[in-house]
Amino acid sequence: MPVFRLQPLWLGPLAWSALLILTALAGDLALADPSGSVQESAVTPDFGMMVRYVFWALIAVTGIAVAALLWSWLLGRRVAQRTRQLRRELNERRQVELALRESEARFRDVTEAASDWIWEMDDNLRFTYLSERFYALTGIAPQHVLGRARWELATGDSAAEREKWRRHRELLEQHLPFRDFAYQTGIGDRHGEGRYLKVSGKPVYDGQGQFRGYRGTGTDITEQIKAETALQESELRLRQIIDLVPHMIFAKDRYGHFLLANRATAEAFGLTVAELVNRSHCITYGADGEAERMLSDDLEVIESGASKFIAEETFTDYTGQAQTMQTTKIPFTTPGLGETAVLGVSINITAQKRAKEEVARMRLYLKNIIDSMPSVLIGVDPWGYITVLNQQAEQVSGLSWETAQGRFFGDVFPQLEGQFEQVRQAIRLGQPIKTPRMTLEVESELHYADVMVYPLMADGASGAVIRLDDVTSRVRIESMMVQTEKMLSVGGLAAGMAHEINNPLGAILQGSQNIQRRIAQDMPQNRAVAAAIGVDLERLNRYLEQRGVQHFLDGIREAGVRAAKIVADMLSFSRRSESHFGLVDLEEMLETVLRLAASDYDLKKKYDFKRIQINRDYDPALRLAYCDKTEIEQVILNLLKNAAQAMTDEGTPDPTIILRTRREPDALLIEVIDNGPGMDEKTLKRIFEPFFTTKDVGAGTGLGLSVSYFIVTEQHHGRLSVSSKPGQGARFSIRLPLRRGALS
Amino acid sequence: MTTATMDWVLIVDDEAMVRENLKAYLEDEGLRVAAFEAVTPALDWLQQGGSCRVCIMDMRLPDMDGNTAIRILHHRYPLMAFLIHTGSSSYSLPEDLRAMGLDDGCIYHKPLTDMGPLAAEVRVLAGEGRP
Repeated sequence: MPVFRLQPLWLGPLAWSALLILTALAGDLALADPSGSVQESAVTPDFGMMVRYVFWALIAVTGIAVAALLWSWLLGRRVAQRTRQLRRELNERRQVELALRESEARFRDVTEAASDWIWEMDDNLRFTYLSERFYALTGIAPQHVLGRARWELATGDSAAEREKWRRHRELLEQHLPFRDFAYQTGIGDRHGEGRYLKVSGKPVYDGQGQFRGYRGTGTDITEQIKAETALQESELRLRQIIDLVPHMIFAKDRYGHFLLANRATAEAFGLTVAELVNRSHCITYGADGEAERMLSDDLEVIESGASKFIAEETFTDYTGQAQTMQTTKIPFTTPGLGETAVLGVSINITAQKRAKEEVARMRLYLKNIIDSMPSVLIGVDPWGYITVLNQQAEQVSGLSWETAQGRFFGDVFPQLEGQFEQVRQAIRLGQPIKTPRMTLEVESELHYADVMVYPLMADGASGAVIRLDDVTSRVRIESMMVQTEKMLSVGGLAAGMAHEINNPLGAILQGSQNIQRRIAQDMPQNRAVAAAIGVDLERLNRYLEQRGVQHFLDGIREAGVRAAKIVADMLSFSRRSESHFGLVDLEEMLETVLRLAASDYDLKKKYDFKRIQINRDYDPALRLAYCDKTEIEQVILNLLKNAAQAMTDEGTPDPTIILRTRREPDALLIEVIDNGPGMDEKTLKRIFEPFFTTKDVGAGTGLGLSVSYFIVTEQHHGRLSVSSKPGQGARFSIRLPLRRGALS
Repeated sequence: MTTATMDWVLIVDDEAMVRENLKAYLEDEGLRVAAFEAVTPALDWLQQGGSCRVCIMDMRLPDMDGNTAIRILHHRYPLMAFLIHTGSSSYSLPEDLRAMGLDDGCIYHKPLTDMGPLAAEVRVLAGEGRP
């Protein structure tokens, strides 16, 4: 094409060349070659002429050549100029074309790559064209669509759907543009699934303004719809989950307005979720302080940006019931939210707290029960480590439960160390094991204890409970009861035979008295009878003396007296009436007894009571005692005599007796304490037994202490006890009840 | 009956040696003593003219108990004084006997290690009876 366009440019020099040749020809000049290259031709018959001609011809040719050259130079310049212009034009055109091509490609790429396609419909609103993207994007073959109206593709039959389509159809029929009309097709894609499409369109008019149909774009929004549906479902599910959670889940702004709340939260306020969240003001049902506290917690979290755990707080629900909540609050920021809010989860721990309190109460209750038990209770694990102690056990060990916990029970209770085997056996056999009457030494006193080991089998946690009962007093009472029974039977026996024995004893004692009287020299009757029969009473007496008859008579008398004493003592072992009871001045009575002891025939003869130091330790608050004076005197005298006798026999260096009285809460105490030889355990055990004596044969009846015991315990309902150790003296304690009622 | 008969002391006791020893002691004290092993012969003696101021009565006797005997004697001889000499430890004085003027001081338990106090009491009672 540029060849054709350059043709006129060459016409100029060519025309100039042709004119010059014509001129030359007119002057017989040779013709110049119109191509610009000069060809000389030799036309000569006449040489001179020919030279002239040649000369002229040469001049003409030169002139022509110069003109031609000039022309050619001018022409060349123009051509170059033109060429440059053409080249520029060409370039520009090329660039435009390139841009166009690029634009086309871009447009193609956009349409092909974008999720849009182009559609066209005719004036009957039927599809006439669908760009290739349609199939690529929707998977629907275009032939299912072409020639059909949009509503023929639609699916969905709900009233809303019908209304939507009615309006769309109306719009199209009015040839109005529309944007973003979304619908679901009933035509399946390659998988047979209906697709969601969104279309926008504009009416198309021809040059004459005639409506030619619609042209527009469409996009497949199936994935978007699916994603949205999924999102909605997921939100719904999440909502269901948070609504299902029984705890309060909520978000609040710094003013206490709910931004989010689950059903539990709303219900606590007696509202629906929507009602609660849309409230413009704070709602509280509790005291003012409650709301302020919550708000200040919220603010603290919002401002510090750190989460806060509130182990326990009170929340009053809409019914006015105070609930205990455990709340965690964390700062909460969402993109849509300008300010930080607080997200909280509140767990209602009212029931839990109540249950905990109930457990604590129950624990305390059970602890009270085990503490109120008089037994020592020690819970141990299978290895003997302490798990539980009751109060008694704490007292005995001197350690608190907390301190003793986890320690080996044998270390805490050395007296029970030997029970470890029983603990193991009880757990192994699943049976309680009893050790009755175990002897223990408590503060250097002999104690008896029943020890029971019960296996514990609760929910796989095995262990044992060691129960220790101090049965010392029971053992003592039992043994005393045995004594009492013995004594009562002795008393019964004595009462039965007393009459039969007392008569012959009377015969013996009275007989010996009469004998001694009737051999006496100073009796007038004796002297009269002796004189009448010629007996020298003086000599008779000398004889009786020398032959020991007097001594034997004394022996008979003493033996008779002793026998009478035994019978009398034995007779004491019978219950008597209270007829001899009365109020007695205690000090006076003790002084009387001391006087009696000092002048006692036996004591004076065998033991020097005056050598014994008597320490009086009387309780000034104690004056009167309600008792049978003679009986208690007998008891105390008996104790004093025993003490004196024991100390004299042993040769105690500084024999001392402490006579002590004390008022105890419910008894008055009289103690006779000596520093004599004391007694061993074996003697102590039997000391109140009738006929038990440590004295030489004939020195005692063996009934003294048992009579004393009987008088105190049976007749006075008191207690008589003894504590002693070999070499450490003895302490006899008489306890008489203070109340008269106790004596009945 | 002379005043001398008033000095008699009546002893009723079935235990021969006790009876005889008491009799001997009281006689040594200068008292006249009539001793019987049962109530009936004592009553017979009194009925036959025997007379006394003081009676020492045992309780357990072969023909009747001492309390009954005291009631009979008191009924017949209201001036007679009584001392009780018993081997029973559980003896206690019946109320009607107390009404007759007896008290716990009148009771002497066997065996008597010393008859002196009893004899002294007898002398007192016998003396009181003297006009």
